Amino acid sequence: MTDRSSTIDMPLATQANSLIHKRGLSGVLQFTILLGVIATIAQSLYVVQARPQDLITGAHGMADIIRRAMPPDFSKLKSEIWPTLETIDIAIFGTVAGVIMALPLAVLAARNVTPARWLYSVARGIIGFTRAVPDLVWALVFVAAVGLGPFPGALALAVHSIGMLGRLFAETIEQMDMAPVDALSLTGARRMQVFTHGVLPSVIPSLLGIALYRLDENIRSSLVLGFVGAGGIGFQLLTAMNLFQYQEVSLLLIIVFVVVLAAEHGSAILRAKLG
Amino acid sequence: MLEVRNLSLTYPNGKQALTSVNLSVQPGELVILLGGNGSGKTTMLRCLTRTLQPSSGQVIVDGRDLTGLQGEKLRQARMSLALISQHPSLVRRRSVRANVASGALGHYSDTLTALGRVPRPELDSASHFLAEVGLEHLAEQRASTLSGGQAQRVSIARALAQRPRALLADEPIASLDPEASEEIMRLLKRLAKTDNLAVLCVLHQVDLALDHADRVVGIRHGKVDFDLSRDDISRDRVRNLYLSEAA
Repeated sequence: MTDRSSTIDMPLATQANSLIHKRGLSGVLQFTILLGVIATIAQSLYVVQARPQDLITGAHGMADIIRRAMPPDFSKLKSEIWPTLETIDIAIFGTVAGVIMALPLAVLAARNVTPARWLYSVARGIIGFTRAVPDLVWALVFVAAVGLGPFPGALALAVHSIGMLGRLFAETIEQMDMAPVDALSLTGARRMQVFTHGVLPSVIPSLLGIALYRLDENIRSSLVLGFVGAGGIGFQLLTAMNLFQYQEVSLLLIIVFVVVLAAEHGSAILRAKLG
Repeated sequence: MLEVRNLSLTYPNGKQALTSVNLSVQPGELVILLGGNGSGKTTMLRCLTRTLQPSSGQVIVDGRDLTGLQGEKLRQARMSLALISQHPSLVRRRSVRANVASGALGHYSDTLTALGRVPRPELDSASHFLAEVGLEHLAEQRASTLSGGQAQRVSIARALAQRPRALLADEPIASLDPEASEEIMRLLKRLAKTDNLAVLCVLHQVDLALDHADRVVGIRHGKVDFDLSRDDISRDRVRNLYLSEAA
């Protein structure tokens, strides 16, 4: 910060020199940052081998696929109901199981309520690990472990949700007002009573909001998990693509669009009600 | 009865916060602690509730020494000593009745109070305690809808639900308007008499202290400067307490 009094005491010429010097420095800094940004973008274009001309030459192929996908094959709508339900249920299972496992971990991983420092470290470690591994990788692991179908997908979402929910739950608990909790402790309430009567009622609306948002995210994720054999509509989509059934693909994309939109709106409405 | 014997506290950095404080509050008595900022009033209350561990001395409630207790014994002993703090500290999303009843949780097992459940007898008793503070009609309202004065009265009802032998109040009217402040002080005085409680209250409002206290204790630099009944105390004596604290 500029020391105003010392600037006022300086002769006018010295002040001007000082300002030019400072502006010059900030100009060099700005130029360096700009160069850095350009270099970062350029290296990413090089690494991904971006060839915009391919988009133009490939336009004909894309138009062909779109033409073959029209009109959507609504005659198969009935047979897509079960995979759609499977997709939604994978997300529901993943979210519910994730919440059940994330909540106790979050309590241990919140600095202000954790019973011991070592438990905090262990809980943070589990949350960090389950979050760091993508749900698609978890799905591959569970497909290998329990076979194809919706169950490995549900397990994958559950485990990944532990990390995502655990971190957000812990942060919510850490940010809560501790005064009512401390007041309850001083009445002689037991640790569990303080938790269920002080901590939980204060944070539960926020936790439910986070869980609903996670359900919305999990519905999107469960659509993709089918690509690695974890059931649901994603699996149908992959099969139809491999068999060049583009009219079925377009039907499935319409279903995906409707499901994602419904989940997003439903979650937003419920979260608004909680708020 | 609440009794403090030779209570001292020295912080790890060597600062002496309390020096041989002696004090007693009889059942039915309202004693007000006065003193400037940093004189040691709140520190003393924190030693009484054992959120701070005194370096030496004793805190005796109903004949039981609290200072050496740990774990389950300390939890049980805390039930005999209720604290009303400057801010009401209610669980804002719960009803007034549930907040009041939560004061009694320590008397019940975890099983009876699992998942936020409050035992039925306590929910019924909450009406009685709310009636004592004149807010029975607000029992089903959410705590977040209360005014500052109402919330403080609910926190007093919660303290009563604890069935304490002594009541500590740490600047309970600090954030209230004059009318609400007067109401709270009248209420504390009445509760001391009707419920036979030993009430120790930290205040900064000298006029209210002189109007309501049975005894006034002046604290200066962590020591008891005077301990006089309301009739024996002069305004000059109180003024000197603050002047010397500022010096």
